[in-house]
Amino acid sequence: MYAGGYQVRLQGHRQTGMGLIGVSLFGDASNLFYNPAGLSKMNTKWSIMAGASGIFSTTAFNLKNSVYQTTTDNPTGTPFYIYAAGMVTDRLGVGVGVYTPFGSSAKWDDDWAGSHLIQNISMKVFFIQPTVSYKISDMFSVGAGFVVASGSVELNKTTSYGTPTAVGAAGLSGNTISYGYNVGVTITPNEEWSIGVDYRSRVNMTMEDGDATFTLPTSVESIIPAKNYFNAELPLPANLDIGVAYKPSDKLTLALELNYVFWGVYDSLKFEFKEKPELLNSSNPREYSNTMIFRVGGEYVINDLLTVRAGFYYDPTPTDSEYFTPETPSLNTYGFSAGISIKPTKNLAIDISYLHLETQESVRSYAPEYFTGTYNGRTMIPGIGVSYNF
Amino acid sequence: MKLKNIILLLALGMLFACEPKIDDFTTTSGGADFSKYVAIGNSLTAGYADKDLYLSGQENSYPAILAYQFEAAGGGEFKQPLMFDEYGFGNRLLLEASIPAPVPAGIAPDQRNFTSIAANGPFNNMGVPGAKSFHLVPGAEAYSALNPYYARFAAIPGTSTVLEEAASQNPTFFTCWIGNNDVLGYALSGGVSDSITPTALFQMAVGGVLQGMTANGAKGAIANIPNVTDIPFAQFMNTQVPYNALVLDDEQAAGLNFAYGQFELFLASQGITWDYPTFSAGPNAFMVSDETLPLPHPFNVRQMTPGELFLLTLPTDSLPMGMGSVNPAADPIVPWGIPSQYVLLSNEIAEINQAVGAYNEIIAGYATQFDLALVDMNAEFNTVATKGMEVDGIMFTTAFISGNTFSLDGVHMTAQGYSMAANFFIEAINDKYGSGITTVSPRLYPGIYYYQ
Repeated sequence: MYAGGYQVRLQGHRQTGMGLIGVSLFGDASNLFYNPAGLSKMNTKWSIMAGASGIFSTTAFNLKNSVYQTTTDNPTGTPFYIYAAGMVTDRLGVGVGVYTPFGSSAKWDDDWAGSHLIQNISMKVFFIQPTVSYKISDMFSVGAGFVVASGSVELNKTTSYGTPTAVGAAGLSGNTISYGYNVGVTITPNEEWSIGVDYRSRVNMTMEDGDATFTLPTSVESIIPAKNYFNAELPLPANLDIGVAYKPSDKLTLALELNYVFWGVYDSLKFEFKEKPELLNSSNPREYSNTMIFRVGGEYVINDLLTVRAGFYYDPTPTDSEYFTPETPSLNTYGFSAGISIKPTKNLAIDISYLHLETQESVRSYAPEYFTGTYNGRTMIPGIGVSYNF
Repeated sequence: MKLKNIILLLALGMLFACEPKIDDFTTTSGGADFSKYVAIGNSLTAGYADKDLYLSGQENSYPAILAYQFEAAGGGEFKQPLMFDEYGFGNRLLLEASIPAPVPAGIAPDQRNFTSIAANGPFNNMGVPGAKSFHLVPGAEAYSALNPYYARFAAIPGTSTVLEEAASQNPTFFTCWIGNNDVLGYALSGGVSDSITPTALFQMAVGGVLQGMTANGAKGAIANIPNVTDIPFAQFMNTQVPYNALVLDDEQAAGLNFAYGQFELFLASQGITWDYPTFSAGPNAFMVSDETLPLPHPFNVRQMTPGELFLLTLPTDSLPMGMGSVNPAADPIVPWGIPSQYVLLSNEIAEINQAVGAYNEIIAGYATQFDLALVDMNAEFNTVATKGMEVDGIMFTTAFISGNTFSLDGVHMTAQGYSMAANFFIEAINDKYGSGITTVSPRLYPGIYYYQ
C-alpha cells in the first residue's frame, strides 16, 4: 500500500521529502538503511537521528455487479527509525539502526462482503541493523549491515461454518525472528555527481507454532478444534536500488533513483496446521511479480536555517490482477512528496515530510474465491524527526 | 519560499485528504421502471428456508436480492415483513455437523414474531409461505386470518387478500412465482393428504393475479414451476435406501413366502383371489401400502417399482423391524407395507408431473398474454437436478445438505440457492426489457447454518 505490497520505505524524512530517494544521498546516519556505504562519508563525526510517520490510509471497494460499496477503517500506521553512527577513523564508519521497512494494516468491516478473505490484518516488522562502512578512496566507499528482523502478524477472517447468530471466524497470530543483510557501494567521481547502489536481501519470516483460534459452532468443533497451531512463511523481498544525484551548486541537489523489488518470491501464502491438517491446510496463490519503482526528487538549501524538498515517484503494484486480495490492497500508486528541514542550531535539525499517495482505480479479482470489484485508495503520510550531527 | 507558505502548502495537502471514491457504474432499466417493485408468491418468495421463515432468510430472499440489484437502475425502497430473529415460528432446523444431519434449533423465538406488524406496511414482499394460487385472489379473504405467516402482516386479517394488498401499492414492476404449493402439499404427504389444485382453478387464480397486477400498466416477470419430485425431500432418501433394499437370505425369503402364502389363504377365505409376489434370496423390492389396490387394510400391499420415491420423512429405523415386509410382532402376523405417506407411488408421480406440465403451459400462455418476462425455473432446475450448475465455483446440485441449492428442509432453498434463482429472474428480465441489471455472485450469500 505504502510502497507496493507491504513494503514501507519511510526511513528518513530527508529522503521521504525527496520522493523516497536515498541511495545516492550521503551525509548522515540515515544511510544505514538507504546505503550503508554512505556511513563512511558522513559530514560530521557523529550522527544521531530519530523520527516517525503517521500513515493515514483508506481503501474503497465497489463489489462487481452491485451497488455495494465500502471503505476500510485502517488504524494509523506508525513506522519509525532510530539511527546512531560515528566515524571511528577517517575511513571507517560504524553504526546501528532500528527501523520498520515492512508492515501493513488493513481493517475492513467485520461483516463486509469480503470477510471470508480478510476482516483485518496487522503486520509489524522491525529490523535491527549493525553496520560498518569503509572509504576505499575519495571515490569509492563500501558498506555492509547485518539485519535481525523481528516480525509479527495478526489476522482475522470469517469461515463458512456459521450459526444463525454468529459467523464462524478464524484468528491467526504469530511472531518470528529472521536474518538478512544490507550491502552498498557509493561512487563519487567529483563534487557534483554521486552514484549509489544498494542491495537489501530477502528476509523470510517463517512463523512456527503460531496461534490459531477458530470460533466455530460446537457441532463443528468435533471436526475442527477451536485451538490450533500453524506454520506459515511470508517473504520480505529483496531490493536493488540504483541512483544518481547531481549537485550543480552548493544549494541544489537533484536526484533520480530506480528500485527493483524482487516481489516475485511471493508466489503463495501457505498455512500448515498442527491439528486436522487434511482439512485446514491451504495454499493461497498470490503470484506477485518483481517491480521497478521510478523516483525523482530535489532539495534546495534556502539558508542556514531552512532546506526544502520535493519529489515524485511511480510505484507499480506487484500484485496479480487475478490474485488480488483485500488483505494487501496494493494498486499502482503515484507518490507526491514535500519536506523541509529547520536547523535552529548548527548541529540540530528538525525534519518534516509529507507524502501523498494516489492509487490508480482498478478492477481486481481474487479468482480462487471469485471475489471481484473495483478498488481505489488514498494515503496521507505526515512525518517528523530530529537529527543531531556533531 | 517562506516557511509559512510551505506549512500552508502542507496544510492544503491535508485538506485534500478526503476518502477515496469509486465512480458508480451505470445500470440501465431498459423498457422497465423499477421504482416500485412488488413481489407476489409463496414461501420461496418470502425467503423461507430450513423449515421456517427467519430474518436472514428474508433478507436474502430472491425479491430482496432483486430489489438490491434494481437500486442501481432506479429501484426504490423494498419493505419486507421481517421476523425479529433467526428462529421465526420456532421450527428452524440447523445442521449438526458431527452426524451430519439437520436437528431442530430448539431455541425459543422472539415473541414479537407472533404479533402483527401490519402497522409497518404495506410490504413490497407479499410472499406468503404455504400459499397456493387460489389463496391470493378475492374469495380467499379468510386465508389472511388462517395463515399465520400472512396474518402477522395482513392489513386486515380475514378481509385482506395478497392480490389486493399488492396491487393497491401501484407497483411499476412485479414478480410472480406461484403454484409450487398447488402440487407440493400433495407430494410432501406422499399423496395421502392435501390435493392437487385443479388446472381450471389454477388458471383462473393466476389469471386473476396477473390481471390485477398489470391493471395499472406494471411490467413484470413470472416464473414457472420446477418439477417438485427433483427436490431433496423426494430424492435424498432414495440415495440411502433403494426401493429394493429388502435383502434376504434363503431362510428369510422362505419365511416371507410362507407368510404371504398364509395371507393369500386368508384373503381366499374372504372370497378374494390374490397372488402376492414371491420373495427370493438377495435384494427384493419393499412392500408398500397402495390404497388403489382392491384389498382390505393391511393386506393392500404390493412391491415397489423402480422410480417410486421414498420421501425424506421415511422412518428408516422401522425397516429392520419389518416395515416393508411383514410385522412379526403382530398376532396374527400381517403384511407391513411402507405407509404411503412416506412414498411417492408411480401414479402419484404421474399426477404431479401432469399438473406441473399443465400449470407451466398456463404460465407460458399468460406470459405472452400479459407481455411479461417468463422465467423458466423448470428448465433451470432440471439442469441443476440432472447435471448440476456451477456458478462462481459453487456447484449447485439437488443433493441434500451438500448440494448448496436446498436448505435443511429439503424443499426450500438456501440463500445461495435463492441468489441463483434471483439471477434466473434477472436474466429473463434483461432479455425481455433490454435492461442491464447485473447478476449477483452466490459467493456473497450464506449456505447451510450449523447447530451451535
